[in-house]
Amino acid sequence: MKQLHLGSLILFTILLAGCYDRTELEEQSYVIAIGVDLTDKNGLYKITFQIANPEVGTSMTGSGPDEPPRETVTVEGTDIISATATANSFVSKELKLDHTKVLVLSEKFARSGDLLRAIQVSSRTKQIRGGVQIIVSKEKARDFIDNNNPKMETRPHKYYQVMLNRASEIGIIPNTDIHRFFQITEGDADLFLAPYASTEIDEKPKENGTEDGYIAGEVPQEGGSRSQFMGSAVFKEGKMIDVLTGAETRIAQTLDNTIDLSDIYSTYEDPVDPNYRVAGAFAKKQNTAIKIDYKENGTTKIDVTVPFEMEIFAIPSLTNYSQNAKNREKLRKSIEDSLTKAAEDLVKKSQEKYETEPFYWSLYVRNNFKTIQEYEKADWNKKIFPHADITITYRLETLEFGKMIDDTHLNEVRD
Amino acid sequence: MFPFSKKKNNSNPNDEPEKVTIYKEIDKNEEYTKKIFSADINKDFTFRTLTANYCQKKTYIFFYSSIVNSEKIYNGIVRPLLEADGKTINNIITIESLTEIKSFDKVFDQINSGKAVVFIDGETTAYSVDVADFQARKVGKAENERSVKGPKEAFTESIGVNVSLLRKRFHNQKLIAQTMLVGSRSKLEVSVMYVSDLVDQEILRNLQKRIESLSVDNISTIELLEQYLEERPYSLFPTILYTERPDYAAQFIEDGYIVLIMDNSSAALILPATFWSFFHSPEDRYSRFLFGNFTRLLRMLAFAITILSSATYIAVTNFHSEMIPPDLLLSITSARERVPIPLFLEVIIMEIAFELIRESGLRIPNPLGPTIGIVGALIIGQAAVEAGIISPIIVIVAALSGLTSFSIANTSLNHSVRISRFLFIISASLFGMLSLVGALVLWVFYMSSVKSFGVSYFAPLSPKYKSTGDMYFRNIIKHEFWRPGQVNPTDKTKKNPNNKGDSTNEKNKFKS
Repeated sequence: MKQLHLGSLILFTILLAGCYDRTELEEQSYVIAIGVDLTDKNGLYKITFQIANPEVGTSMTGSGPDEPPRETVTVEGTDIISATATANSFVSKELKLDHTKVLVLSEKFARSGDLLRAIQVSSRTKQIRGGVQIIVSKEKARDFIDNNNPKMETRPHKYYQVMLNRASEIGIIPNTDIHRFFQITEGDADLFLAPYASTEIDEKPKENGTEDGYIAGEVPQEGGSRSQFMGSAVFKEGKMIDVLTGAETRIAQTLDNTIDLSDIYSTYEDPVDPNYRVAGAFAKKQNTAIKIDYKENGTTKIDVTVPFEMEIFAIPSLTNYSQNAKNREKLRKSIEDSLTKAAEDLVKKSQEKYETEPFYWSLYVRNNFKTIQEYEKADWNKKIFPHADITITYRLETLEFGKMIDDTHLNEVRD
Repeated sequence: MFPFSKKKNNSNPNDEPEKVTIYKEIDKNEEYTKKIFSADINKDFTFRTLTANYCQKKTYIFFYSSIVNSEKIYNGIVRPLLEADGKTINNIITIESLTEIKSFDKVFDQINSGKAVVFIDGETTAYSVDVADFQARKVGKAENERSVKGPKEAFTESIGVNVSLLRKRFHNQKLIAQTMLVGSRSKLEVSVMYVSDLVDQEILRNLQKRIESLSVDNISTIELLEQYLEERPYSLFPTILYTERPDYAAQFIEDGYIVLIMDNSSAALILPATFWSFFHSPEDRYSRFLFGNFTRLLRMLAFAITILSSATYIAVTNFHSEMIPPDLLLSITSARERVPIPLFLEVIIMEIAFELIRESGLRIPNPLGPTIGIVGALIIGQAAVEAGIISPIIVIVAALSGLTSFSIANTSLNHSVRISRFLFIISASLFGMLSLVGALVLWVFYMSSVKSFGVSYFAPLSPKYKSTGDMYFRNIIKHEFWRPGQVNPTDKTKKNPNNKGDSTNEKNKFKS
């Protein structure tokens, strides 16, 4: 009898409580991108959801060929989660944010300083992952998402995934997610960089000759998708204050040990023939050495060394660098100098304009303090960094010239 | 905790037939025997009368003509009695076994088990002569436990042949084949085989008592005996290893295990059994170290896939869709858009369909065999998907879990695993990963609580014993020093660990 009681108790627990949060896959809609825009009212935002259509792009038979691969809806709401409920008044399925890839913020919204209020919800709910990428768009988020119409990667999640991965791998945008945003903002010492993107391309593109001296919207382009990812938005204390170009973003990332870079293809001045530029792949295999000599009273000295490797793959001037030791030395010095100069400019800009840095260097000063209170009192971004004496060295560890040592000899070809 | 575990009840007092001693008058004996065996209607019950030459007395020979060798009767009994001269019958009948019997119940037993019984006028002793010749299949190939590398012989349905197959593999005078009889109406021989200076006496005694206390009219095969002997008939897990391979049985005998062989059964029982003995296959040891362990790795993978793939699929898709990569998620979703039934039912339908195909494939008469493959594959694989009853990915999941279950070669464990699979599917559909892991933990708890003749199911892993270390992976054969400690063998050392005994020096000569 007792066993019967126990058995029925277990059975009813399972029958009554079981399956309560079960949802079938086809009853959910998967939001791939979320956009946030300002409205006229304080505390109320326009929230855009881009929903993937699962039937497009699969090999399953019977999917309607006319269906678009994505659906974009916009509602007004105070935060992202409650906006999904509002959206359900005209979207048939439950909106799931588990698979969201990007959070698009309009520049206007990012500069308003309301960002923390709007995405605070993501630290509370488990629906929005910490790995969601933040993108700042020059135009309205809704417009950005609408115009973002890639021809080849029709499934939206694939597009964002591939686009962001590749662009951040080569360093023209930073690879930063919501988690890092909270980490840096709540650490209250460093600057947060977010990818800067735009679908509004300038009619008169800026032409400055280098490959990465742009911000999004300035890159001269013909054909392809209308969205550009280039440069980064600078956030100070949760509020956007400036935009860095692609080149600056790359430099900032070489100084930062918390970000992995793979190969950066870029060009440098040809020291022998200044009419041309030399192209090479920059690779950082070792960590940047950051030494901070902290002085409580007086100037703190920061010594930064970036070891890197370079593989030269294009010398349009056909100068013999590979076999001529003198030339090689010139090239080495020229590359190191140009990188150091760029870095010094950026550091100067951050010291004077931003009063703190986007390199996450506050990590290296923390071991000088015994308690958090002491560290906070010393105040990295107000007292230490802006007045610090910073020396930056780029050290070229190995210089390679690709698979062929010798170049075409121009004088022999044209005799 | 286990309301269904059964205590052994003591045997009922047996209905012994009254003992009748053999009469001095031969006609009385003849009459009584004929009456008992219903000689007038029992066609193959045969008797023969003659006058023995050595004593000039009337003699009767009784036997079943269907289970004796008639040549042996003629050459071994009839001719000597008619022609030979001597003092006692022992000198006249020269066949290897001649037993004296005093009472009729023994007479009947002997005749039933294929012997010829000789009555001589004026004597109160009958003589039983072993001329049995039961029909049996020849030694064949192992059908269910096949191997690529290793012996191919399998047990056959004759106890004599089976004992011979084992003795052939272990030449030692301490290998005992103790014979016990089971059944009160039809008495069949069970041979308990063990190495007397290795086996744990306590386990042996326990087994002997269990066999002796069986009170049942008839146990005709070893498969039934297995169920009479096991401790927990309701348990999900087998506790006695059943094998048709004499080489596998011999491996266990030399480690101190006990092997049971029975008349009419083409398999042996090995006990005590642990999880590992069901999980392993003899070929793991025949293959070289790396090859054998690679197979083990595959089997472990198959084990995990079989019990968990469908359940995990349900848990992940129904409760944790955030775990699926977006590409896969979207294609599963699009496949499910037009499927009318919940995912849980979809999986159950497919799993049951697979089990049905399997079962009917097993029972189908040979000439019809190919049909089932075609029809089954067509209906399940193609038509059901196109009709929109199930989504294509379920076919993959179910087929995977169904097919991998066959890599667990042991038929008993195979069933345990296939039934467990359904438990996990149901538990996964209740609370997702949470209940699935909960069920898995309870399942392992239960498994580790199972005991076979006092030996824990997971021994020697838990509790730990000195052993060859042959559990997940096996050691190099040369490094197997100890007999499995869980069966408490009297001689624990298989090979002296100090003496490498592998002619290392000789090998090194060729190394450089």
